[in-house]
Formats: sequence, C-alpha cells, structure tokens
Amino acid sequence: MTRLGSLGAVAAEGLVVAHGAVPAVRGIGFTAAPGEFLTLLGPSGCGKTTTLRAIAGLETPRAGRIAIGGQKVFDAADGVDLPPERRGLAMVFQSYAIWPHMTVFENVAFGLRARGVRKAALGDVVRRSLDLVGLADFANRPATRLSGGQQQRVALARSIAGDPAVILLDEPLSNLDAQLRLAMRAELKSLQRRLGLTAIYVTHDQEEALALSDRILVMREGAIAQAGTPQQILDAPASRFVAAFMGVRNILPCIAERGGGAMTAVLKNGVRLPARGDGGSFVCFRPASVRLSAAPEPGAHPAEVAAATCLGDIVEYELRCGEVALSARELSRRALPPGTPVFWRVDPDDCFLLAD
Amino acid sequence: MILGRRIRPEAMLGFVVTLCVATLVLPPLIAAAVAGSSAGFTPLHEPGIVANTLIFGAATTIAALLLGGGLALALAPGVPGRAMLERLVVMPLYLTPLLTAMGWNWLASPRSGLVNLVLHETLGSWATINIVSVPGVVAVSAFAFAPLPFLLISDALRALDPSLLESARVHGASAGRVFRRIVLPLLQPAALAAALLVCVEAVGMFSVPAVLGLPAGFNVATTQIFQLLENYPPRIAEATAWGVLLLGIAAVLTLAQAALLGRRSFVTVTGKAFRPAAGRPRAPRGRAAFALLYVALAAVLPLLALLWAASCEFVPARLGLMRFTFQHFAFVLNQYPKTWLAAGNSVLLGALTGCLVCGLGLGVSWVVLRGRGRGAQALDQLSMIPLSMPAMVFALGLLWVYVRVPLPIYGTALILLIAYSTHYLPYGVRTTSAALRQLHPELEEAARVAGASWMGAMRRITLPLLQPTIFAAWVLLFIMAMQEVSSSMLLYTSHSIVLSVAVFDLWENGNPSDVAALGFVQLAASFIVVSAVLALRQRRGLA
Repeated sequence: MTRLGSLGAVAAEGLVVAHGAVPAVRGIGFTAAPGEFLTLLGPSGCGKTTTLRAIAGLETPRAGRIAIGGQKVFDAADGVDLPPERRGLAMVFQSYAIWPHMTVFENVAFGLRARGVRKAALGDVVRRSLDLVGLADFANRPATRLSGGQQQRVALARSIAGDPAVILLDEPLSNLDAQLRLAMRAELKSLQRRLGLTAIYVTHDQEEALALSDRILVMREGAIAQAGTPQQILDAPASRFVAAFMGVRNILPCIAERGGGAMTAVLKNGVRLPARGDGGSFVCFRPASVRLSAAPEPGAHPAEVAAATCLGDIVEYELRCGEVALSARELSRRALPPGTPVFWRVDPDDCFLLAD
Repeated sequence: MILGRRIRPEAMLGFVVTLCVATLVLPPLIAAAVAGSSAGFTPLHEPGIVANTLIFGAATTIAALLLGGGLALALAPGVPGRAMLERLVVMPLYLTPLLTAMGWNWLASPRSGLVNLVLHETLGSWATINIVSVPGVVAVSAFAFAPLPFLLISDALRALDPSLLESARVHGASAGRVFRRIVLPLLQPAALAAALLVCVEAVGMFSVPAVLGLPAGFNVATTQIFQLLENYPPRIAEATAWGVLLLGIAAVLTLAQAALLGRRSFVTVTGKAFRPAAGRPRAPRGRAAFALLYVALAAVLPLLALLWAASCEFVPARLGLMRFTFQHFAFVLNQYPKTWLAAGNSVLLGALTGCLVCGLGLGVSWVVLRGRGRGAQALDQLSMIPLSMPAMVFALGLLWVYVRVPLPIYGTALILLIAYSTHYLPYGVRTTSAALRQLHPELEEAARVAGASWMGAMRRITLPLLQPTIFAAWVLLFIMAMQEVSSSMLLYTSHSIVLSVAVFDLWENGNPSDVAALGFVQLAASFIVVSAVLALRQRRGLA
C-alpha cells in the first residue's frame, strides 16, 4: 500500500462510492504526481464531485484505497479512514463556503488556528495569503460584504494559507460571470504553478479543463472514459462520448475503407473523406476543421447552407450535403443566407475514425 | 493507523440522540397503550363523554380552521399595519388557554360576568351571553388554537407562486374563480396539516373544558381523566383507558391525513411573496378590523377581565358594588404559600426545558439532515410522535413507567422536565431543522477540511450560525413550558408544584380574585424572565 502512495501526491485505487443502492463512483483509480494539475471532467452526475469528496474524506467509499503524499488515508479493506481534518488537504468548494459570521481575516486564519499555528505567526501568514490573491486591504471586512469574485479569492486564500501540498477544487469558477471566470482561471493556474501545488480540479467545462490541466480524466457514469493530456484527448478521443464532450460536433456514421495504407470514410451520401485511425463506423471532425469556399476546389464537396447563426466574430453553419447534415464554423462577421450553395472540405489530419 | 478506526463523533451523536429520543418517547407511549387497553374498562361504557369529546374536537377544529384560515387570507399585502397585525394575531400562542378561559368566565359567566352585568343593567336580565356552555367552550378553544392554522396557511400562501394566479387571470378566470379553483386546492395540504394539529391538541386540551365546560355539565375525555384521578383512591387504569381513546383519535386522524394527501402529488409550490392577482385587496380596513377583533376577543379582553377580577375587592353581582384594591396581589405574593415555590419551579423547569429541547432538537436535526447513517427517517418520525400524543396521555404513560423505575424521578420535578421536554421536542426539531436546512453543508465541510474536528466545526461554525434561531426557540419553549397545565396537573407533587397548577388549584378551591392575581403573577414571571434574558443578550452584543 505504501508503494501505491509513494507513486504520487494523491493516489486512488478501486474507489466505489454509493449513496443507497446506486453507485455514483464505480471503481475509479488514478494517480496525481506532485505538482500536477489533474482535472476530473464530465457531465453532471458522472461522479466527479463524489470522487473529489471521497479524497477529502467527506464521503466514505464502499471499497478502494486512497493515499495522500505517500500516507494511506483510506482503505476499505482494513478499515483505515482518516477524518477530513487529518488528511492535510486544502479544498475550494463550489459555494465557496465562506463563513458569514467571520471577517476575511478570521476566515483565512481559521484553518491555521485549528492546526495550531501560533498567534505571533498567524498575522503574517494570513496577510501573505491575502496578498497572493490580491485581497490584502480586505482583511477586516465582514465576509458577508464581498462580491462573488472576492469570495472566490477568500476561499482560495483560505485554502493556501496552511501551505498545503494538495489542493482540491470543486467547480470553483462556475458561479462567476464569464469575464471574471477567465481572469480567475489564469490567476488560479499561475498560483498553482508558483506554489508547486498538486491540484485536483473538478469541472464540467471542457474549455476550463483544457486551459488548466496537465492531465484530464474524462468521466462518465462513475467510471473513467479516458485519461490523458489535453492534447492527447483532443487529438484522439477514445470514444464518441469523449469526442462529443470535447466539442466534436460532427460524428457521422460511415463505412471505413482501407486503401494504400490510408483509411477513407465513406459517408451515407457517398462523400469520401480520408481519415486517421484504423477503422470504425464513425468519422469525426470539429466544426472549426471544416473549410468553406464559394467555388469548387480540389477535394471539396458541394453542400447547401441550411441554417446560419452569427455569434459576433464567428458564424456557425448547419450544412446539408445530400442526406448528411454537418456543422461548420467560420471566422466571419457575415452569415451566408440559407440556401446558398457552398463547398466544404476537411483536412485528413483533423478527421478521425471511431469504433464507438 | 489504528486511529483511523476510532468511532467518529458524528456516528456517536446519531447513536446517543436516537437512544435519548427513544427513551423519552417510547416507554410512556407503550405503557399508556398497554395499561389503558388492559384496564378492563373501555370508554364505550360512557358513550356520552366519547360523543362530547368528538363533538368538541370537531367543532373546535372547524372553528379554529375557519378563523385562522380567514385571518391568513384577510391579512393580504396591502392591508394597513399588516406586519404588526401578523404579530398580534399569534399573541394567543403565548397566553395559556387556562388564563383566557378564566378571563372569559369573568367576562361572560351568566350571573357575574362583566359583560352580563352591563347587559343586565342596561337591557334587563333576559339579555345574557353565557360563556359557560358548549358553544362557549368551543369558541374560547378556537380562539386559542386559531394561530396554528393562521401560521401554517399564511406560510403556504407566502410560498404560492404568483405566476400561477396571474396565468389563471390571463386565461380568463375571474378573481373568485381563481380563488376557488387555484388557491384553495393549493392550500389544502396546509389546511389539512393544521386541522390535524388542532384536532389532536383540542381533544387533548384540559384547561378550557375544565373551566368553562365542567360547570355546565359538559364532560370530555380530559376532564373525565382528571376527575378519575381526583378520586380517592385514584382510578389510574380507567383514566389511562380514556387516554387510549385520545391516542386512537390521533392515530385515526394521522392515517386519514396521510390517505387524503397520499393520493395526490403536490409539486412543491415555490415562488416569491404572495401577490394576489387583483392587486390591492378589497376592503383593506375591514380586514384589519377583523384581525383586531380577533385579537381583542382572544387576548386583550380576557386579559383585561383578568386584571379587573384581580383588582376587584370581590367579583360583584352588581356593578354598583364594585370596589378596587391591591389586596389580592398582596395576598398572592405575601401569604399564599405556594406562589414563590411554584414560580421558582416554573422558571427553572421552563429554562431547563428550553435548553434540553433545543439541544436534543438540534442533535436530531443534525443527524437527520447531515448524518450519513441509516435510520435518519425513522429518527425524524420518532421525534414527531409527541405531536400526536396529548400531553395528558403522555403524563399517564410516564406515571406507569416511572412508578416502577427505581430512580428519583417519580414524585420529583424531574418527571415534569421529562414530560415537558418530550411534549415540546417536535417544536425544537422543526425550528432547528428549518434553520439547519438554510445552512449550506459546505460551510461545515470547509471547516473540517481546514483542520477542525467535528466538534470544532460544530462549535465554531454551526452553532454560532444557528445561535439566533436557537435563542428564539428557547424563548418560545420557555413560555410554552411556563404555561403547560395538562400534564403538570397529573405529575406535580407539593414540592414540585408549578405556577399553572397553582392557578388551577386556586381556581378550584380559592377566591376568584386571588386566582386572577396569581394568573397575573404567572404572566409576569414569563415576561420578566424573557425580558431579562433579552437584555442580557443585548448587552453581550449578540442581538
């Protein structure tokens, strides 16, 4: 067991968590290396938050083992189950969980006091953490008089004050408005790098996961659907589910043909698309990989605009190409009207085959 | 790593709380049921009293429901002084029905009631309002219980989504039709819950039937129980058989309510503040006047009558013979031997009941809402049993249990504390769980992850945040325990006498004006203690 722990800052093995009869997490295992930013990504109800809470000690798994920093904190087999306060973790909650009856200072100092930091050192440590999140001037403000973004920063300061090795983050940006979310995302990333924290991050937002993570675990129905670096998952989704979740909107049924060492996908309408992969019954590509042109080009297929939505700098098209419907997006501020004939093609590198 | 195997304090809490609640609730319930059913007597031998009990329960329930529901509907937004009226209307909850019943007796007893004295001198002796009668008992009881349906139904109104009403209006329904077809059906669950609550409380009520019913020859189950126990030797088994009748009524009503509500699904009705589709309410002043009239009849007039009786030299048969004096207050405070002992006992018991019920209620709420153990639902239901158990029946059960238990409980104030704490436990659980539900669980969890133990998280996060609710609950429990009379009547001894019992004792054997004065002492004791606690809290900067 110690071997499992020593592999990384956080290691989980065979975790099963159930509320009542239905398991929310079905035998998950993973390791986060020291300093790694690991993201659990998946739709709501996939068990990602439950997994995180099990690591924190807020859920008791039915089976499995968890080690943090080489120390076993949970093992269903021999009954080890350290309570949350003895796991030495930091956590940022989705609701921020800022204690409303305390000031900003007291919120940050709470964990330090609970862990026995002496009063003389307390002020310095709290001030340093508040400095790190840019709230140095807010120490004496009541926690109820903070904006959403400020609450988020207090939650962050509170979690890093105790100088933890591991920080757990449960959809920390989901309650912020779009602009603030982008800013906080960048801050979070640089803070994690600077402090060398091992971060386990839960989100349902693929963009957030791609921007932040060293490694992503895509989860589905309590199990890991795919694990890998953002690039690996973008380039080679393991399944239609992962592909769709990562924003691949064109997943078209096809017949794969092998010819001269390369694969060709034959769509229902007879269109032939060269593609990566060694076979499968679906050909997949992102809307942004579709190149549109007004005039016929070599390798382009005729289609017709079925619908167009202008999103500012981007236009999203629904195209009809015989009996096949596909999505495309183009950098443009002017949408072509429905019925316009267009020609489309996809770079073979952007096109891949999936069995399921 | 053996430490990881330690029993977690939260699991321990679940165990201890369940054990406490079960020990409080179950033995008296079972003892009462067993002893009452094997008494060799069934209440059916006295069909008259059974019929009286049922008639009284039904009539009081209907009257209280109409009155309370009417008040809830009347006090719509836009009625002048609505916030103040809403507070005044629940005032009778803080007054013991024993005192309002006595007050009404001095107002409208046929020969010496103040109202009747005035009527006789102005209109002649044919004009008499007789409160010492069946309609009188029902009316005064309904006054006392009306705040319960008022609170439940106005909560339901507040939760009513205004868009439901507005969409009905937009689709062509008149205001009256909206009320009949939308509002009333949506209020039905609250109304049924209120009816159940009032009916169980009414058939279990002792004070009003004893003061206004018995002299008119109107005997119900509770007064029958009291008389059986006043006998020498007390016929406890027979009394308990009457208690089983009351338990049976409560059980039947609970099942009926479940059957009525169970057949339909009630989607949670959510929304903003209640805004009737018609904008301003019709006759806003009439509505306010209705509420004021209720407050006058249910609280102000009986209290004034009490004051009048307490300061009359004697309650006269003619207005001309009236003379005012402080001698009754002086007698009660300086000479009547039971006053100070009873006041001390009452205050102590009230304070301890408040603490115990708040503590246990909070424990139950935490285990039910936050604990991860099984059986949370069972614990919740167990803690609600006292709601459907009249206090008098529970007291009988306690007598059966603690006569046999070799602990210094029977015949001490401890048995009263047990009775009060169990009887009011549901209030403690309901208020604390409502507050705990408002508190995001992540607040506690964040404290745990930050390094606080379970105890530390409770002490530094949960308790400070719940503190205002707990304090308010304590005040209410103190006031309610101070005026409890039904079970105190059966469980007190000369050492553990409480004020409400002393008042009733004087009512039976003493001078009416002395009773009134002692009643005022009882009210004053509540008032002084609550004010003192409030002031103390304010000085500590907690309010």
